[in-house]
Amino acid sequence: MTNRQDPSARGLDRRRFLTTAALGGATIVGASALGGLDPDAAFAAPTPSLDPAIARSAFAEGRITAIKGSVLEVAGSYGDHHLIQLTNATSVWKLRTTTAEAINVGDGLYARGVDMPDGTIAADAVWVNIVNLLCTVRGIAKDRLHLAHGGAGHAVVGRIVPQTTTASYLGGALTSDLTRVRIGQSAQVLGAWRPEDDTIDIARITVGH
Amino acid sequence: MLIVDLAPLLCGALLAVTGAAKLLGRRTAQVAANTVLVRVLGDGHRAVAALRAVGAAETAVAAALLAEPTATWPGAATAVLGAGFTGYLAYARVTAPESSCGCSARDEGPIGVRSFLRAALVLAGGVLSTVAGTAWWARAAGEPGWSALTAAVAAGAVAALSTDLDRVWLPWRRLRLRLFGTPLPGARGMAPVEASVELLERSLAWQASAPIVRSALLDHWDDDGWRVLRFAGVYEGGRRARPVSVLFALDRTATVDSTPHPAVRVSVVDDRTEKPVPVDLLELSGLREPLPLV
Amino acid sequence: MACGSTSLWAGETTWFCCGSSWGPCGSAGTGACGTCQSNAHQAAWPNASQACFDITRPDLCGENMARRGCGSVMNVKHQCSGATVCVTVADCGPRTQSFCGESTCCNGACRTNRVIDLTPAAFSVIGNLSSGKLPVYIYE
Repeated sequence: MTNRQDPSARGLDRRRFLTTAALGGATIVGASALGGLDPDAAFAAPTPSLDPAIARSAFAEGRITAIKGSVLEVAGSYGDHHLIQLTNATSVWKLRTTTAEAINVGDGLYARGVDMPDGTIAADAVWVNIVNLLCTVRGIAKDRLHLAHGGAGHAVVGRIVPQTTTASYLGGALTSDLTRVRIGQSAQVLGAWRPEDDTIDIARITVGH
Repeated sequence: MLIVDLAPLLCGALLAVTGAAKLLGRRTAQVAANTVLVRVLGDGHRAVAALRAVGAAETAVAAALLAEPTATWPGAATAVLGAGFTGYLAYARVTAPESSCGCSARDEGPIGVRSFLRAALVLAGGVLSTVAGTAWWARAAGEPGWSALTAAVAAGAVAALSTDLDRVWLPWRRLRLRLFGTPLPGARGMAPVEASVELLERSLAWQASAPIVRSALLDHWDDDGWRVLRFAGVYEGGRRARPVSVLFALDRTATVDSTPHPAVRVSVVDDRTEKPVPVDLLELSGLREPLPLV
Repeated sequence: MACGSTSLWAGETTWFCCGSSWGPCGSAGTGACGTCQSNAHQAAWPNASQACFDITRPDLCGENMARRGCGSVMNVKHQCSGATVCVTVADCGPRTQSFCGESTCCNGACRTNRVIDLTPAAFSVIGNLSSGKLPVYIYE
């Protein structure tokens, strides 16, 4: 299997192969399928065949205390401990879609996966340092936003990351245009916490009223 | 000079407030944890104790300034405090630039120009206090108007340098932005990857592949106007469950604003055999509407 | 699907953290009910109490969901995938009034306004945390 971000020839070859497969796939255009208007009918509609794995979906939360090969040792916030097994099928999010190499000891984590008989969790998806904070915009600078979070107005610095930070204005499409962020607005900030300085790298800022 | 004689009052008031906040504040422990004191003293508890001790010193000096304004030593002590603050800030700035100042009881950002200016103010105030000739209460009684004005200007200067009162500056910041525009970056050409994922998640194609997809976005790349998004999944059709890659290809300029019903190409590839898996996703997810009988 | 099937409400869900945790969550506290934990299947409801309603003001967006206090059990279903999760109300939220009119759609069927907030454990059962918000049906 290939290293996902590997710019080597092998990686490019696999991507080309996958692109061909992707473009050769069936085209699905949204039309009208499930009505979506009547919740009771929607509830009664046959649920997509639930893989037993989904029904057993396991969750882990905590800080990474050690990385041993492809296994993350995680200390949960309530004294629990978890072993998270990463595979080629595990998606890794740390501000953006990335690979296991980006994970460091001391990072916070949420993981979803499947409980394995050996006590580990085989992860489907791992979100490293992800936070979703409701804030008020207090100040705007070229590369950062000063935010106030929570009832007490606790100050948080949100960094604007070039090529990565996006904004959504009252539910509009995500865009790299940040010029319509205003002081005093409510904003939902989805980003990656930085343990080293307690600031947030902003992945997306959803602006409200 | 009026400002010289009032200096003990102004410094005393400022130090009394900051000192009391450090000494008696509930958040002192949290503030201390973010400062360089923790590294210097090696321990969070010692950092808190140090911060409280500084607070006690500030309160004591403030009391001296207010009670004995004409004596030289309260002013000298204030100047020493100011010099000490400046030295500490310089050390912290050099060794741990992202650490918090710890100067006031509320949360603060990294050490900046304002922190140094505040320390310089304390130092200057202390120096002025050493040469104060008349007690501040006598001076204030003698020249109430000018005294009040001086005090107001000094308070304004402190407020300007204090991040605690940032919300006071909100209307001015808004005005500045309105006049000079926003410093934040504007839109670039094509849609960001996040916008493509957002569009995908709202599409029928996503709904149809729900039974198979397991991971969040695993990989993405652009190819000739297409954006390809790859997810991991499990396909249970046939003999056994097998790990697959689910690939979605959509127009890389499309977003939910421009294309509410995007045409998405979907393909499922067996991870082991690297062969496409023929599966009717709409059928699998129960979304294919039965054709009406004529 | 253990908990109920009587439709209660529909709208958008986001996610939030609470209880002991790393990062900014460390200062979030255990929520309005005192029991909130990021690793439990719990939710925040905009009308968990009168005090709560006065903060979230969902009525300003035209959402007048019923009062459901701490401990109420709900079944939240992702409109797109059909995945469901059972949650217990453990906090007050989201701040509906700040995002009036915001909608999230699935194949043209749209859900408007933020009407519920889920813990990371609950949200990840029915969607990806990196998605931020989902259109949902809520049952009890």
